[in-house]
Amino acid sequence: MKTFHKILIANRGEIAVRVLRACRELGIQTAAVYSDADRTALHVRLADEAVHIGPAPAGESYLNIERILQAAKSVGAQAVHPGYGFLAENAAFAEAVQQAGLTFIGPPPQAIQAMGDKTEARTRMQAAGVPVVPGYQGPDDEDSLQEAAGEIGYPVVVKAAAGGGGKGMRVVWSPDELPGAAAGARREAQRAFGSERLLLERYVPLARHVEFQILADAHGNVLHLFERDCSVQRRHQKIIEETPSPILDEDLRSRMGAAAVAAARAAGYVNAGTVEFILNPETREFFFLEMNTRLQVEHPVTELVTGLDLVQWQIRVAAGEALPFTQDSLRQHGHAIECRLYAEDPQNSFLPATGKLLRFVPPTGPGVRVDTGVSSGDEITVHYDPLIAKVITHAADRTACIHRMQAALREIVLLGVTTNWQFLQDVLAEPDFQTGQVYTTWVEEHFSGWKAPQCDLPPEVLAAAALTQFQAPGNGPAGTTGEDPYSPWRNANAFRIGE
Amino acid sequence: MIYRYQYGGQVYEVNLERHAGGYRAHIDGQTYELEILGEQPGQIYLNFAGRPVSIEWAVDGTQRWFSMEGCSYILEKPAAGGAARRAETGGEQSLRAPMPAQVRTVFVQAGEQVEKGDDLLLLEAMKMEIRLRAPYTGRIRRVLAAEGDTVERDQILVEIES
Repeated sequence: MKTFHKILIANRGEIAVRVLRACRELGIQTAAVYSDADRTALHVRLADEAVHIGPAPAGESYLNIERILQAAKSVGAQAVHPGYGFLAENAAFAEAVQQAGLTFIGPPPQAIQAMGDKTEARTRMQAAGVPVVPGYQGPDDEDSLQEAAGEIGYPVVVKAAAGGGGKGMRVVWSPDELPGAAAGARREAQRAFGSERLLLERYVPLARHVEFQILADAHGNVLHLFERDCSVQRRHQKIIEETPSPILDEDLRSRMGAAAVAAARAAGYVNAGTVEFILNPETREFFFLEMNTRLQVEHPVTELVTGLDLVQWQIRVAAGEALPFTQDSLRQHGHAIECRLYAEDPQNSFLPATGKLLRFVPPTGPGVRVDTGVSSGDEITVHYDPLIAKVITHAADRTACIHRMQAALREIVLLGVTTNWQFLQDVLAEPDFQTGQVYTTWVEEHFSGWKAPQCDLPPEVLAAAALTQFQAPGNGPAGTTGEDPYSPWRNANAFRIGE
Repeated sequence: MIYRYQYGGQVYEVNLERHAGGYRAHIDGQTYELEILGEQPGQIYLNFAGRPVSIEWAVDGTQRWFSMEGCSYILEKPAAGGAARRAETGGEQSLRAPMPAQVRTVFVQAGEQVEKGDDLLLLEAMKMEIRLRAPYTGRIRRVLAAEGDTVERDQILVEIES
């Protein structure tokens, strides 16, 4: 058993804060790292000490293995927690941490390597009896494709072998559609990736994304901590996640859970990870999609329904502790939902928005949890993911949980940056969401022409604008200093008021 | 005192005056009695026409942000000449940066002919790749950004003529 006196957190933002808190609660000293852009960031201010690791661009700071290892050694840390993103799933980094004589709080480098290679992962899963999406990759002449498609079973999706992102993809519902679809896919693939090679996969219509949380110790215990339904996505980015999944029954849950555990064992997994599945809600078939060998953004919903602190368990497992609970002793209590609040401009194709967070007041109250790495006054820059906060609610059942989330979002004060706040509210209010019937392409289908409705300007706000200016012209709590005292806001006839 | 603000493409006017220990606001033909119940930096608690309401606010340069009951509003200085906002698009002839970003690759040069959909520039921001493509077939008049440049939102990057 190891003892960690100090842990270096190789990350930033909300996950760095999350890990910091877990360390503090365990009585472990914390060391943060920061780039030029994060000098006064929340995770830096909360840590016991902080090491500067480079300029703002991630490649020169948070992705720089050398600098991070140097930081860990300079502060005398015994372990490194990689958070999520950045170097969390970089086997070379995990290896380097171990080579430096430190503990990597995560899975063994070999597990990261194996699951990071999609082909390798599929092979291991098949060997372990975990269902994978039926597919075909081989000679792609018309005859071979027809035969393969017949074996896979329609509907199939024709995909470009050389790339993704939806390019060179066609869904085919019957054999006579295949030649035309293949020809079209080839043309697109050639233009996008310079290669005409195609592969086939079973198409799962109205698919749901259901993932299982895995927790494994170094003593051979591998457990699942139930599922998370992450079907509310846009452009493959998750927006809202929840647990339990509204469409799983006990039988399906237990079968998928067993498959997730088998997958983790096949990967030689230790520590926390997630096995992602695609689920066909009609046929109840599920298929392995991939395994994420790290803690996920949406881990809080699992923590709230199971009552387990996943980050603390990551640290304990890394220190050599054995999990003291069994699969049978674990339960889900109530329902939890997470909404990701992003700095995004809905009027600008939802591209990330930048700016200064003039005022941010997160919601609180019973069953309301907010995980954030920013506070009022922080700048949202181009260099990093524009996640402002995760708002998570927990309640006795799904309906109560949705209401709690809607009320919590209404309490948020967020000034200075455009966000997807209104979009989140609109999704939560949709009947399909309320009845638990969304699927992975639902957002794109139902919100394709969505524009943020402009709220009518209430007279109260106009009056407040005038009042605040009347009292202190040109200034505000986060106003820029040195502003022109001859405020451009004035009517040409007005006389100067105060100064 | 008359104040004018632009919001959602329209200009709004409010005439504020002191009145009987509080204030009166004349908005759009209506008169409202107000009283400040409490104030803190960035927050004003008002009695507005008999109803208490709390409004959070902040100023950033020429933008005044307000939040009331969950909804936020950005009020700006009325643009010169009235209600016109700045152009939503760069116009037919210039391609602008959709957000602050770094220029990774410039695929074209001045004088080149391009087809609609051709790649012109590759930008990078927040770990995302943004491809700027020719909106129509034409000729590149000027390229105003170079590889490695950091550009602002709405900054003109390329001028194309059809």
